[in-house]
Amino acid sequence: MKQNFLLICSLIFIISCSNNNSEVIDYNDNNLSTGGVLINAMSAEPSNLISMIAGDSASSAIASKIFNSLIRYDENLNFTSDIAESWKISNDQKTITFKIKKGLEWSDGEPLTSADVYFTWKLITNPNTRTPYGSDYALVSEASTPDANTFIVTYDDNYAPALDTWASLEILPKHILENEDINSTFFSRKPTGSNYYKLGDWVSGQQVNLIKSENGVLGAAYIEKLTSRIIPDTSSQFLELSAGNIDLMNINPIQFKRVFPAKPKLKNRTALYKEMGNGYTYLGFNLKREPFNDKKVRQAINYAINKDEVIKGVLLGLGEPISSPYKPGTRWSDPSLKPYEYSPKKALNLLKEAGYKMSDDNFLVKDGKTLEFEIITNQNKQREMTAVLIQRRLKEIGIKVSIRVIEWASFVNRFIKPGDFDVVVLGWSLSLDPDQFNIWHSSQQGPGQFNFVGYDNKKVDQLLEKGRRELNLDKREQIYHEFSRQLLDDSPIVYLYAGYGLTAVNKRIKGIKSPAPPAGIYHNSQDWFIPKSLRRNELTNK
Amino acid sequence: MNLFKGNLLATVGFIIISIILFVAIFAPLLSPYDPNYIDINSILLPPSFDHLMGTDGLGRDVLSRMLYGARISLFVGFVAVGIATLIGIFLGSIAGFYGGWLDSIIMRLVDIMLSIPSFFLILAVIAFLTPSIWNIMIVIGLTSWMGVTRLVRAEFLSLRQRDYVLASIVMGTSNTKVITKHLLPNSLTPIIVSSVLGIASAVLIESGLSFLGLGVQAPTASWGNILTDGKEYIQFAWWLSLFPGLAILVTVLGYNLLGEGLRDVLDPKNK
Amino acid sequence: MIKYLIKRILWMIPMLIGISLISFFIMHLAPGDITSSEAAFNPKASEESRQKLRELYNLDKPVIIQYGLWLKRMVELDFGNSFASHQRPVLWEKKDANGNVIKGLIQESLPITLLINLIGIFLIFSVSIVLGTISAVKQNSVVDKSITFFIFVAFAIPGFWLALLLMYWTGVVNQWLPISGLHSLDYKSFSEIGQFFDLLKHLILPVSISMLSGLAGISLYVRNGMLDVLHQDFITTARSKGLKEKNVIFTHALKNAILPLITIIGLSIPGLIGGSVIAESIFAIPGMGKLFYDSVLMRDFPVIMGILTIGSVLTLIGTLIADIGYAWADPRIRKGLVK
Repeated sequence: MKQNFLLICSLIFIISCSNNNSEVIDYNDNNLSTGGVLINAMSAEPSNLISMIAGDSASSAIASKIFNSLIRYDENLNFTSDIAESWKISNDQKTITFKIKKGLEWSDGEPLTSADVYFTWKLITNPNTRTPYGSDYALVSEASTPDANTFIVTYDDNYAPALDTWASLEILPKHILENEDINSTFFSRKPTGSNYYKLGDWVSGQQVNLIKSENGVLGAAYIEKLTSRIIPDTSSQFLELSAGNIDLMNINPIQFKRVFPAKPKLKNRTALYKEMGNGYTYLGFNLKREPFNDKKVRQAINYAINKDEVIKGVLLGLGEPISSPYKPGTRWSDPSLKPYEYSPKKALNLLKEAGYKMSDDNFLVKDGKTLEFEIITNQNKQREMTAVLIQRRLKEIGIKVSIRVIEWASFVNRFIKPGDFDVVVLGWSLSLDPDQFNIWHSSQQGPGQFNFVGYDNKKVDQLLEKGRRELNLDKREQIYHEFSRQLLDDSPIVYLYAGYGLTAVNKRIKGIKSPAPPAGIYHNSQDWFIPKSLRRNELTNK
Repeated sequence: MNLFKGNLLATVGFIIISIILFVAIFAPLLSPYDPNYIDINSILLPPSFDHLMGTDGLGRDVLSRMLYGARISLFVGFVAVGIATLIGIFLGSIAGFYGGWLDSIIMRLVDIMLSIPSFFLILAVIAFLTPSIWNIMIVIGLTSWMGVTRLVRAEFLSLRQRDYVLASIVMGTSNTKVITKHLLPNSLTPIIVSSVLGIASAVLIESGLSFLGLGVQAPTASWGNILTDGKEYIQFAWWLSLFPGLAILVTVLGYNLLGEGLRDVLDPKNK
Repeated sequence: MIKYLIKRILWMIPMLIGISLISFFIMHLAPGDITSSEAAFNPKASEESRQKLRELYNLDKPVIIQYGLWLKRMVELDFGNSFASHQRPVLWEKKDANGNVIKGLIQESLPITLLINLIGIFLIFSVSIVLGTISAVKQNSVVDKSITFFIFVAFAIPGFWLALLLMYWTGVVNQWLPISGLHSLDYKSFSEIGQFFDLLKHLILPVSISMLSGLAGISLYVRNGMLDVLHQDFITTARSKGLKEKNVIFTHALKNAILPLITIIGLSIPGLIGGSVIAESIFAIPGMGKLFYDSVLMRDFPVIMGILTIGSVLTLIGTLIADIGYAWADPRIRKGLVK
């Protein structure tokens, strides 16, 4: 027994000697240089690096560093050149001509030409390709490549979201995939791309290493190697960040607001960034049910919800109220629209206009029926908490609310698809293209379609149809501002908040823009660099 | 504590369990706050006289949630084990008393169930159904009856050969009566011991499921989901994980000590 | 003996069919499939294309037909391809037409889980035999009580909580051990011995956590077995012959007390494999438990079925080996004295 004890003691001693604690580092070195390794943490392993098939966020995060599209969004979310140096829309707005840059190469040295673009379009529209995103590209009635640097697409009907679809289609190499079955090819785990980085190695379930590519379409990056460690548990991720083993991770509002300020040592070597997130949370009414078919009731509930309180409570203030389904700060979001303010008085007045009276036990009643409903949401902490805060505010003005939390698959299959719900708390993404046809057009109410709240407004239908056909950006902007105004007035959903994306990055990483531009901090990740004095020495000695 | 014939560990276990049961039963009287009251102005407060165990990420009082959580965690344990024990007694009695092909079928079923990693099974069922309290209890119960079945069967097989049992069978006593009058009461000891130990496992399984996001769902408090909430802030808000962690530890320990103690006390071999 | 073996192995076939039936039934208890994940709830993905995927994967067919299709493939030992991770083979690697090898999901994850669990089982049994023997020899002493108390505490701690505390203490506060993962980032540049020690260092915490819960049961088993043996006639005889107490315990008693343990190894496999879900998630280890959990959340049916089947086969094989080992080790059975 004693011997064992000694053995364990000496073992602990040996282990503790082998690692000396890190010395104090001066983070003020800002000398630009190429090289170094950035290590970040991902919660899930990419499923596959062909993003037209993958669809998970881990996959697209990695794939976007390897592949290019014809065009891309710049930091202010306007279109700019990528593989195509320019593009032209014909006068009848039905044809787009992309001019592809000359002399482009894949990372294996093969030329990248219009043939690759055509091949990719053929691939995504092929019915045998297992992709959920094919329908947008199937609208192209004719695609052609008159020469190696020109790609022309023609639509039967004007299709305004076209440019957005070409900005999200990553171009794949024809010379490798020509004779492969896209649904099961090795390429998904061993891709050859054209962007700043190429795949170094992929250790299954553990890490994906990207190595700087010297012949990228957009030039070269500074950081030599991007290592993405797959760490499923966020508490483990945070421990790794605290120990300085990873440089970058997404954090939650409590970590941002509370944990970092309380940990001076950690705070000194970490920079925190916030950017507008990609989605918003809303409270959606089932418009086919009483009493939500009454606009006054919807508006009243909108007035009765204190959005600032929700943002403060759920996000610790790290979010913004919105009044249209578009990212604040972009041209589609109309700055003159304001969210419904918190006003229980207005809410009560509207409900009285709608015929409700306060009963003796302080609940609103109409025709002998108490105003009560059930909020359902899926298992998502923030949404649950939002529902609770709303429940409390609504009770104050006499509305009885119950909450039910449901696992995602049954949530969709048992409640959303058959339309069997009163009110939902859910989220939509703040899409970059303003087209919202699939969500708000009255034709999109079938089972499995996305207008499940059952919104039906002829004027909005017309605007959505018009917006889809208008490729002139200024005219489009007008159309969608009008759409947003109508939507806000009808209040089929209550916009609750758009949360910030929060990221903690080790201060050794330089060149990150702060405050973040509308496109977010990753937008210029190729310009990030690690000064020589701040590199991890154990990883740079090759 | 004559009940445990001076067995120290069993006595300690008994005291622990009694205290926790007391706390769980009287949770509404003991809680200083409404366990689900969200207060956005007092998020993550450390323990103080106002909040003896601090507050959580939504400003809820951790002590009150712990007290109500005790109810849920113990309830899950009791019902799950209750289901498992009932199934076990039923199948075990049939297998042990009648023998023959019934016995074969039941024992093969036991073999099959024992061969599937049960936590996988629980995980799959709960993920596919909604992870409600009832589903969790039922699923834990349905995947842990095999031990009791084997126990009851073994006891029955040996008891069946006793003279007084053979005698009453010969005298024409009905099978049900033989089972309930002679066989069951005499095989109660191992059943009780295994049930007590089973509750301990169920409490642990619930906390494991909570860690994976498939335990008792918020806003209902269970020790498992309080602990899971707290793990995110283990370096910062220690009170969020320490109290539920210790509560689970002490409870499971209590049941184990009690169960093993009972086995020692009741087992004639140890006299 | 051979007849018995053949009978046992043949018996595994109906067992496996039973297991697969139960598994298949469970997967279809609730609505939802791979196309109804949260990521698929995206206005850019149309309902028609989701319906198309459902048809491609045969998910639109009645459950009984899907099971028939699965069983048909199983006869050829084909576990199928994963829905969620780009048609990767579920079990074993496949070569495509151009000679590129695509590794199987279980092929990659199972060895990791097995490695951790085998080390775990080995340690559990070693430590348990020591603790159980001490407890039995010093029955009812303070040592006995403290050992019992200790193993119960080890059993009662929620594993993931202790794991996080240890990760924080040994990884953040003291930087003695790596926090998560299976290798250092630069392990490929190490010598082979260096890689081995690197792996070892990463395994210390996960193995310790996964063995804690198994300790209590086995230690008590050894203790009780030892107590039984110590009261038997041949031990009393040995003592009365004047053999040293140490000799009596180690050469005579221990051997007889440990023997039945062999059969428990087989039975403890499913528990350990099941427990690996949590350990693998928290320590970021890409083993079979983590794979199962991910597949369940994605409703990746072929992978779920594959893991349940393989897990059960492992258990059956484990029990079989244990039984054979027991028969071989017990001289009475070996010599044919007892059936």
